[in-house]
Amino acid sequence: MTIEILDPTYGEGPSDFAAAPRLATLAGVTVGIISNGKHGTGRFFDAVAHHLQTQYRVQAVERVVKPNYSAPAGDDIMDATKHWHAVIAGIGD
Amino acid sequence: MTTPLASKRHTLDSVGDAQEFFHSRGWTDGLPIVPPTAEAVHACLDWAGLSADHLVGIEPVRQRAVTAEKVAINAVMAGCLPMHFPVVVTAVTAMLQEPFLLHGATASTGGCAVLLIVNGPIRHEIGMDPTFNALGPSDRASNCIGRSVRLVLGNLFEARPGQIDRSTFGHPGKISYCVAEDEENTPWLSLATERLGDPHVSAVTALAAMAPRQIMNEWTTEPEQILDTFIAEVKANMRHYSIWPGNYVIVVPPQLREHFDAANWTKADIRNYVFEHAFIKRGEWASVGKGSVVGAKGDRTYHALNAPDDLLVVAAGGPAGGFGAVIPPWLGHKSRAATVAVGACVDC
Repeated sequence: MTIEILDPTYGEGPSDFAAAPRLATLAGVTVGIISNGKHGTGRFFDAVAHHLQTQYRVQAVERVVKPNYSAPAGDDIMDATKHWHAVIAGIGD
Repeated sequence: MTTPLASKRHTLDSVGDAQEFFHSRGWTDGLPIVPPTAEAVHACLDWAGLSADHLVGIEPVRQRAVTAEKVAINAVMAGCLPMHFPVVVTAVTAMLQEPFLLHGATASTGGCAVLLIVNGPIRHEIGMDPTFNALGPSDRASNCIGRSVRLVLGNLFEARPGQIDRSTFGHPGKISYCVAEDEENTPWLSLATERLGDPHVSAVTALAAMAPRQIMNEWTTEPEQILDTFIAEVKANMRHYSIWPGNYVIVVPPQLREHFDAANWTKADIRNYVFEHAFIKRGEWASVGKGSVVGAKGDRTYHALNAPDDLLVVAAGGPAGGFGAVIPPWLGHKSRAATVAVGACVDC
């Protein structure tokens, strides 16, 4: 005898996110880095920013830090992203 | 109130095949499940008087709409009877309140669980036992309700180990972490009555919580001395784990409650005493190997509670034993305890 059961997952719902179009090049663009603000992230993102500018000729790297590392970025940060060509949502620990 | 179910259906050859089907997809917690048939899910929805598409809430970060149908499917899987379902819905509603910070609490490496504290007449209606083994596997309702929350987190939010859930260790409460308060064997007001102001309310309080830390003091009748033992454990947590203030829980069993009752101490008296005495200096970190982060702030005082009401005092436990439990918050006050009345529709 067969048994019919219901799917318990959210998988059938709409997708949470859509990927942004991929940039053809990083040269000359502005990249934002959103740090979660955890201890030790500063030096890591210093290195990331340096690498982006020296190796990929990124024109500007703008850094922001979330006030609460466990909560989503607030409206002020989301507004800032509108001026960026690319963003790194950085998780550091 | 039978409404059509929207979930995809899977047909398997046997109950055994259904078990393997769920395990192979990562849809369980590693334990066997009760196959969620349409009949069983409808029984839960009907008992609670909810339509399948009833919106229980929206997860604040990913904006995921949580329907009663999906919660019911996971509750059935966890072993819930229909009469348990209103408590499960209430627990999920509480977790979806923004101050609870569900996404952070379930994603964190810190590895907290969702502690549920149930109050009111519904405890008896569904057979919850707040006495023996109160923080362990005490009764069917407590276990199944607590497990439901874990399955909801895994199946609706992908809070599974290594996916959204990045816990380094986690703790056993992540299987099920649900306790009823022993309201009958104490003159104290219930947790829900204190938080909601209604003496007859049935409610669920959800807290992102670490594992219980057990204490013992059977050698005094003085409330202050009993609380000093609880406070010592709070301070140890502040030194060893997290110094930040938040919603601490203390669970007090009958043997210790007798002494508070004899001295006419209310929960408010307990909260005030703990608030005043549970603090450490940052410099104490140096005594537990954390001297490198003391910096120039060694004399700064850190309190366990931002306010007396941040302490959740819960009466529970078996009749014998001068034990107690301190349940620390996941991460200071970033996540707040949320209390919701059973049957309340928070966002309606």
